[in-house]
Amino acid sequence: MEKYEKLEKVGEGTYGKVYKAQDKATGQLVALKKTRLEMDEEGIPPTALREISLLQMLSRSIYVVRLLNVEHVDKNGKPLLYLVFEYLDTDLKKFIDSHRKGPNPRPLPPSVIQSFLYQLCKGVAHCHSHGVLHRDLKPQNLLVDKEKGILKIADLGLGRAFTIPLKSYTHEIVTLWYRAPEVLLGTTHYSTGVDMWSVGCIFAEMVRRQALFPGDSELQQLLHIFRLLGTPTDEQWPGVSSLRDWHEYPQWKPQTLARAVPTLEPEGVDLLLKMLQYDPANRISAKAAMEHPYFDGLDKSQF
Amino acid sequence: MEYDPENPLTISNEEQHRVSDPIEALFAAESDHMSPLAGGHLDLSARRDAVSVILQAQFGCSLDPFAAYLAVNYVDRFLSKREIPSGKPWIVRLLSISCLSLASKMKKTDLNLTDFQREEGFIFDSQTIRRMELIVLGALDWRMRSITPFSFLRFFLSFFSPAQAPLLHALKARASQTLFKAQNEIKMLDFKPSVIAAAALLSAAHELLPIQFASFRSAISSCEFVNKERLLECCDAIGDVAMDGCDLTFEMVSSSNTPVTVLGRHCSSSESERTVGSSSDECDLKNRRISELRGALRLSQA
Ligand SMILES: Nc1ncnc2c1ncn2[C@@H]1O[C@H](COP(=O)(O)OP(=O)(O)OP(=O)(O)O)[C@@H](O)[C@H]1O
Ligand SMILES: [Mg+2]
Repeated sequence: MEKYEKLEKVGEGTYGKVYKAQDKATGQLVALKKTRLEMDEEGIPPTALREISLLQMLSRSIYVVRLLNVEHVDKNGKPLLYLVFEYLDTDLKKFIDSHRKGPNPRPLPPSVIQSFLYQLCKGVAHCHSHGVLHRDLKPQNLLVDKEKGILKIADLGLGRAFTIPLKSYTHEIVTLWYRAPEVLLGTTHYSTGVDMWSVGCIFAEMVRRQALFPGDSELQQLLHIFRLLGTPTDEQWPGVSSLRDWHEYPQWKPQTLARAVPTLEPEGVDLLLKMLQYDPANRISAKAAMEHPYFDGLDKSQF
Repeated sequence: MEYDPENPLTISNEEQHRVSDPIEALFAAESDHMSPLAGGHLDLSARRDAVSVILQAQFGCSLDPFAAYLAVNYVDRFLSKREIPSGKPWIVRLLSISCLSLASKMKKTDLNLTDFQREEGFIFDSQTIRRMELIVLGALDWRMRSITPFSFLRFFLSFFSPAQAPLLHALKARASQTLFKAQNEIKMLDFKPSVIAAAALLSAAHELLPIQFASFRSAISSCEFVNKERLLECCDAIGDVAMDGCDLTFEMVSSSNTPVTVLGRHCSSSESERTVGSSSDECDLKNRRISELRGALRLSQA
């Protein structure tokens, strides 16, 4: 760790602070992330070993933030593991915020939305092709290089060793806004669809500059979804009423999705609709999304 | 999340149709997991010692053979990247123990290192092992989900027809046997894992299912990911391993004219029990079969 000089805190994660730092030898900027994984008598904990090696495998894609190194420091005789990532100047949440508030509020250019969504699908397809679900996709977990117009997925892999926590170490509530309905309803079976739901929510948020379903409890979150997309039925989504946390809900009719994203072109609305299918089996896959006509105008060769 | 050598990418069967090209990802990444002899400085005597410690753990503590296989893979990759100071045999032991420890964690199998070490008469304390684990992890860039020939068996088996479960099963079992043996063969380190897998399956097919062999061979040779020349060379090399019904016999008969590549194994398995038969006959038979296999494979080049 003496190799790096801490510059500033750039983020608060669920498990600790994230620091911007500089490699003293090369000058390269990095992000240092402390993990909760401590070494014990048995050496490197098996979960850490399996998770970090998975992360390492995934970080071959340029749409996944690159893991550069794993460092260990001795803290009171207990080695702690730090992950060293490539540094990106901002995350998608901060990027959207800068277009909403501040001196110069303006929509995100449609071409930026299209390009970011494509890169997001590409990164998600990469993870899924390696058998890995992210399970916590949200704008804060997507890092952005403003200059180059690149978007990368962060915060991968380690989530798998633990169930998604409800509260962070600072007791901040972990956001539910991007959580798929089957997760909110207590499904025990996660599939790639949970990530595609989140991708849909993020897509809509780039267009609206505010969250599509800003719930503040699991129930509120479901009601937000049901109010826009209609209360799901067993015809539409076989088995929904037998999910663990299903209750009787008010019967809402689906609204027109286009009204929630008024500035989005029709092809985009169509893609969004396919991402927000209730039945996870009907939700579009990341790979199929990349072939959707919404991206026809995009020069895919640059990716 | 446990590492499965046949599926290092952790894709569940039901998801397989939804994800894009997992096999491409494997082919793209396999070179990161090699420890080629050419250009490297693999210390052969250190390797031999390390492998023998690992085999002792496998047979003495009935360790999962895949965990042992993985440990040897780590040792090879480590040795191809770092030099071991000579005259310090304990470092090689420490390396072997640490690789065993890492491999059994990846495989989620239990291995009582203390008991094993006590039997072996040397004991490293847990802090030393922990430090060595970190050194190994650093040298291997934390790429511990090794891509090995086992990772490609399922893919290449899909080229076999008729796709009947008992046949596929038999092929896979025979090829796996070959792969375990082939790991001891130093020259195999120069081949990509995918090529080794294809060669092991072809030699299994040639032996067990000669009627389907030709079509299997041409299907595999036409696979876009496989370099046909390398496959041929690898089949040559693996022929020696595969056709060799018994390691010990082979070693005795042929050690005079080949470098001793087959390690003296601490075998207690039933297979090696049928040791020395009429070794020269067996050897003749073996040689005949190898040359048949070579001939059969060469046809495919035309
Ligand atoms: N490589 C990086 N470059 C720049 N900023 C980063 C980097 N990694 C993380 N950050 C910043 O730190 C924040 C938290 O990081 P990250 O999401 O990886 O942590 P976390 O502990 O897993 O948080 P959570 O689980 O709540 O998402 C990010 O939202 C981002 O703003
Ligand atoms: Mg995060």
